[in-house]
Amino acid sequence: MPELGLVMLLLVGLGIVFTGLPAAVVLITVAVAGAAFSLVTGTVSMPILTALPGRLVNLLENDLMQALPLYVFMGLLLDRLPVADALYRTTLAILPRGPAAQLMSGTVLGALLGPMNGSVGASVLALSRVVAPRLAAHGVPEPTRAALVAVASTLGVVIPPSLVLILLGDAMLGAHTIAVTTSGRTDRVINTQDIFHGALVPAGLFLVLCLIAAWLVGRRLPAADNAPEEKPSTAQVLLAVFTVAFLLVLLGAVTLGFFYAVEAAALGAFVLFTGGLITGRLRGGVLRDVLGQAMAMTGALFALLIAATTLTLLLRILGTDRLVAGWITALPGNELTVVAIVLFAIGLSAFVLDAFEIIFVIVPIVVPPLLIRVADAKWVAVLLLLTLQTSFLLPPFGYALMMVRGTLRYAGSLGPLVRALIPFLIAQWLVLAAVLLMPQLAHVGEKEGDRSRSTPELSADEINRRMQDMLTPIPDIELPK
Amino acid sequence: MTRLIGGLDRLVAAILSAGSWLLLPVVLLLFLQWPLRDIARAYSREANDLGQWLFALYIAMAFTAATRAHTHLAADALARHYPARTRVGLARLGALFGLIPWALFIIVGGANLVIVSLRSLEAFADTYNPGYFFIKLALWLLAGLVLMQAIVDIARPRREGH
Repeated sequence: MPELGLVMLLLVGLGIVFTGLPAAVVLITVAVAGAAFSLVTGTVSMPILTALPGRLVNLLENDLMQALPLYVFMGLLLDRLPVADALYRTTLAILPRGPAAQLMSGTVLGALLGPMNGSVGASVLALSRVVAPRLAAHGVPEPTRAALVAVASTLGVVIPPSLVLILLGDAMLGAHTIAVTTSGRTDRVINTQDIFHGALVPAGLFLVLCLIAAWLVGRRLPAADNAPEEKPSTAQVLLAVFTVAFLLVLLGAVTLGFFYAVEAAALGAFVLFTGGLITGRLRGGVLRDVLGQAMAMTGALFALLIAATTLTLLLRILGTDRLVAGWITALPGNELTVVAIVLFAIGLSAFVLDAFEIIFVIVPIVVPPLLIRVADAKWVAVLLLLTLQTSFLLPPFGYALMMVRGTLRYAGSLGPLVRALIPFLIAQWLVLAAVLLMPQLAHVGEKEGDRSRSTPELSADEINRRMQDMLTPIPDIELPK
Repeated sequence: MTRLIGGLDRLVAAILSAGSWLLLPVVLLLFLQWPLRDIARAYSREANDLGQWLFALYIAMAFTAATRAHTHLAADALARHYPARTRVGLARLGALFGLIPWALFIIVGGANLVIVSLRSLEAFADTYNPGYFFIKLALWLLAGLVLMQAIVDIARPRREGH
């Protein structure tokens, strides 16, 4: 009964929007209700559902998931250490005075902090503390402040090695494996490292466009008369230089494959933790508080993953993924058209789901059939990444937007905030359009042998038959003894 | 009944408070993997395996830690305007019809998986290092904590935002 899965997906969207309950609770409740209905109507049997515990154990032992608490820990430590302040003041010292410099420094800080703390939430907290009060002191209006903090917080999404990038990398690996096996291609399955490489140029482009947008917005603002002058101390300049050098080494080492993303995160967390101990900033109950917060924030992401695993297992058992695969394989047009349609659908879902929910629930259903139609998995991954970044900023439920409104206690209506976001959203969509129309932007500096091969000509029936074989939901099911 | 729920609440809090410190050895072990592998050329796999089961126990507790700290991702743009009683009622319904049946299913449905692993003190398949059974045990820890917290929340719901 594949249609039941579609009803369940609709219920998830409605449940998230109208109940205000945690998305994880909504996903689990809908999955439980769907499973109960399927059992009562005889659509599925109990033994097939016992595959779930095994799948959850797979999550508990997934190497890549170890990055979750490490990034969260790094973000919390950064918030306790004077790194963000030093970076902001040093960047400001390089630029001419005025509101434009404040906005540009905030953007640069977002780009520098993003890869270190990995999560949008942690970036929002750090930028709200360091950047927002200074923008206010320089007379930057409240909606522009909130918009800049939100946009700068999402820069880490596309700059490796971010958490979203790692999680998408894992989801893409699974999707590409299914696509390659189903289509009979001999491509190397892409990994997180490939997506790091692919995202570098688009991320650089977006950062440049954001800086231009910040400059244009800031240029129109009047300079504040009594804004405080903030020259960095020598120690702050040294700390900023060390941080940038460390970040470049970290980024370079991951990009060149010297160590894995999880090891890079562990190295970053270890260095920051040691720094916190040496400077005495983790004394007293501070460390206990940081560890408690790290566990709670990690749990929020992991709960979502567990809930999505529960729901997507049921969708697979019901055959909903094959129904969606059938629709995607039947889409008319060339690769560009198919990718644009799927991205548009994912963009629509971003109005009710946030980036993590899209990665855990939508990507496993939609992307395998897309990659059967479109061989260039790295291109698709980068486009998805850019779409996810947009989803953090889309009103009314964009995660960065919601967090900024909470942390900055933004009291205004959504309209002015959305208007303040428009220059940055235009920059975002320009990069998305550029990558969509020029796939080579995701392949800069790549060796010819790494490119995916072109899609072999398979009929829609043949693709459906292979998908059917590939997605038969039996592989790791344990029957009770 | 109130004392029982209070005791359950304190037990969950104590487990999570102790478990939060597991992050420090996880960070250290995962950081050490790289120098152990590329410089010392020894004990890298041991560090990985130890880090892996400590991580499994840590992450199994994290779900409930998020529930208690109200850090779960939620879109409450509409629900924030609901009366407090409605929100508490919705949270109770979610716990009763979502989390409790799910946790019970994981405990019962995963029993075979966990018990077989525990009985044989299952080791890591590729390195034979001990401790793999902790990863399977973490499944019960995850579901057990979710179940206990759901019972506490139904019997004594916390106020939203606290």
